Amino acid sequence: METVLQIDGLTKIYHSLFTPAGVKAVDNLTLAIRPGETYSMVGPNGSGKTTTLKMVLGLIFPTSGTISIFGKDISDLSVRERIGFLPEDAYLYDVFTGEELLDFYAGLFGYPRKRRKALVDELLTLVGMQANRKVPFRECSKGMRQRLALAQALVNDPEVLILDEPTSGLDPAGRHQMTRLILELKRRGKTILLCSHFLAEVEEVCDRVGILYRGALVGEGTLAELAGEPTETVVATAGLESAAAARIAQMPQVLNVEDGAVRLSKATGDQLWSVLQAVHDGGGRILEVAKPRLSLQEVFVRTIGEVQE
Amino acid sequence: MSAQVSKLILMAGLIIVVAVLVLTRRIWGTALTHGLPSIWRIAKMTVAEARRKRVLQAVVVLVILILTSLTFFTYLNPEEQARMIIDSGLTTIAAFGMLLAIFIAAFMIPHEIEARTLYPILAKPVRRAEFLLGKYLGALIILGVVVAIMTVVLVGVLLLQDSMVEDLANSKFDPNLLPVLFAAAMSYCALAVLTALIMLISSVASTTMTVIGAVLLWVVGSMQSMLLDLSTKVTGATKVLTLAFFYAVPPLQNFDFRMEVSNHIGVSMPAAVFALERGLLYAIVALVVAAIFFDSRQV
Repeated sequence: METVLQIDGLTKIYHSLFTPAGVKAVDNLTLAIRPGETYSMVGPNGSGKTTTLKMVLGLIFPTSGTISIFGKDISDLSVRERIGFLPEDAYLYDVFTGEELLDFYAGLFGYPRKRRKALVDELLTLVGMQANRKVPFRECSKGMRQRLALAQALVNDPEVLILDEPTSGLDPAGRHQMTRLILELKRRGKTILLCSHFLAEVEEVCDRVGILYRGALVGEGTLAELAGEPTETVVATAGLESAAAARIAQMPQVLNVEDGAVRLSKATGDQLWSVLQAVHDGGGRILEVAKPRLSLQEVFVRTIGEVQE
Repeated sequence: MSAQVSKLILMAGLIIVVAVLVLTRRIWGTALTHGLPSIWRIAKMTVAEARRKRVLQAVVVLVILILTSLTFFTYLNPEEQARMIIDSGLTTIAAFGMLLAIFIAAFMIPHEIEARTLYPILAKPVRRAEFLLGKYLGALIILGVVVAIMTVVLVGVLLLQDSMVEDLANSKFDPNLLPVLFAAAMSYCALAVLTALIMLISSVASTTMTVIGAVLLWVVGSMQSMLLDLSTKVTGATKVLTLAFFYAVPPLQNFDFRMEVSNHIGVSMPAAVFALERGLLYAIVALVVAAIFFDSRQV
């Protein structure tokens, strides 16, 4: 299958005076990202996400393993003409305004003045910074900074976007705006590699997820693949008498009855039907019968828990 | 003996420079053909950033105040007055220039790494060597503007005093303008060499280590003749170490023509050319080695 970003056996070991044997930050990582895909690396702090991104960008160098983007090494300038990078914090020069910053970054691609001007206008509009284009970066709020940082990552209309914690430090409204922007970029066909701690947003925007733990990839796939087939059934009820609820809780495959919701595990059709009958007989109304899938948060906790065991 | 050794060093250095340039032609070839616009953009950004820093503006104002205060020494006879203004003025230019060079160059690369402003730039089609050269060029422009401002103020002070001071029969106020401009230009060349060496240190070291290294460079570079004298009086490892310092550090004092200019002694052009040749050699070697180190630095 065609891949945009291919990582093979990537390992990074940091050596220092105090750790002569070295600390393994990334451990034999292999992954591939396909064109137009949004892939997220998630993991606890120190799991090697940012280290991996820095190696992908050529900011630090692998101890072993290879990385290729569009089949080429990152040191190839033609590769960097096709990628955009949003760092974890908006590391931009703080004495300049948004429009000056974007003009500078666009200039690094050799664009002429006229094209840069149009591009700056377009990007400031896209990230909602048109009204604040002349505000010095150091006077911008965290949300404005992050949006400008995203704009600088888009100056070359990149095919691949590498986003490191794009919603880090943002308030809920800012996170929502950033998530909308990422979805818009995804809609435009960008291939996105994303690192984030906010699993609900990852779940909303990503096609596939890689779970990193201590530098190693411990889980990978779509959320459906990672979560597996739902095993629980939840019957939402209203008006269920307490005596009936206690009886239902004793029925086969019923895990518990809480707040009018009956949770069953691996129930057969007959067992479910019996529960529904008991709810009806107990004076309750059935509002919904659902087989909820695990959230990314639950998958993440389960996967990390399994690895730790 | 010393002049012959220096010539040999110069020749060897030139051969090393050519060899290094040939070996690293891939980096430099690309940097020159593809990277010139990037180098210029980064240089312009560096200058624009420095212009907005209050510290730089404050230093320039302070230097202007110091230079204009030289007009207060009216109790000296005209000749002494001219000598004092030229000597103090050129000393101010050299000293503040060096301090600014250390301040600007020592923080340039380490600060970019520590503040991580380097990340978005290196993620774009910009080679590390281009970034380094852009920063160096930016530093040269900033220092050039500051030295030019200081020199213009000094020339203004000299012209003002020349118009105000009454010459005596045996003592005349001679502003000696052209040699003053020459001495200031040589001071600037010393700054360019020092800055290149600071860039070399900063390509591998942290801010603190770079500042310490830069100050050491300045001190050792200004005491080269003392080092040479010392090397004749010591033996063994101390002699080797002293000579190593003597040849490793550029002789910044060779760029110092204050004494000649303030005392109206003719400037030795061969000495100036020799200083420029050696300085250029040191600067090129420093920048090439800095680019090689920085290219493999984990940022």
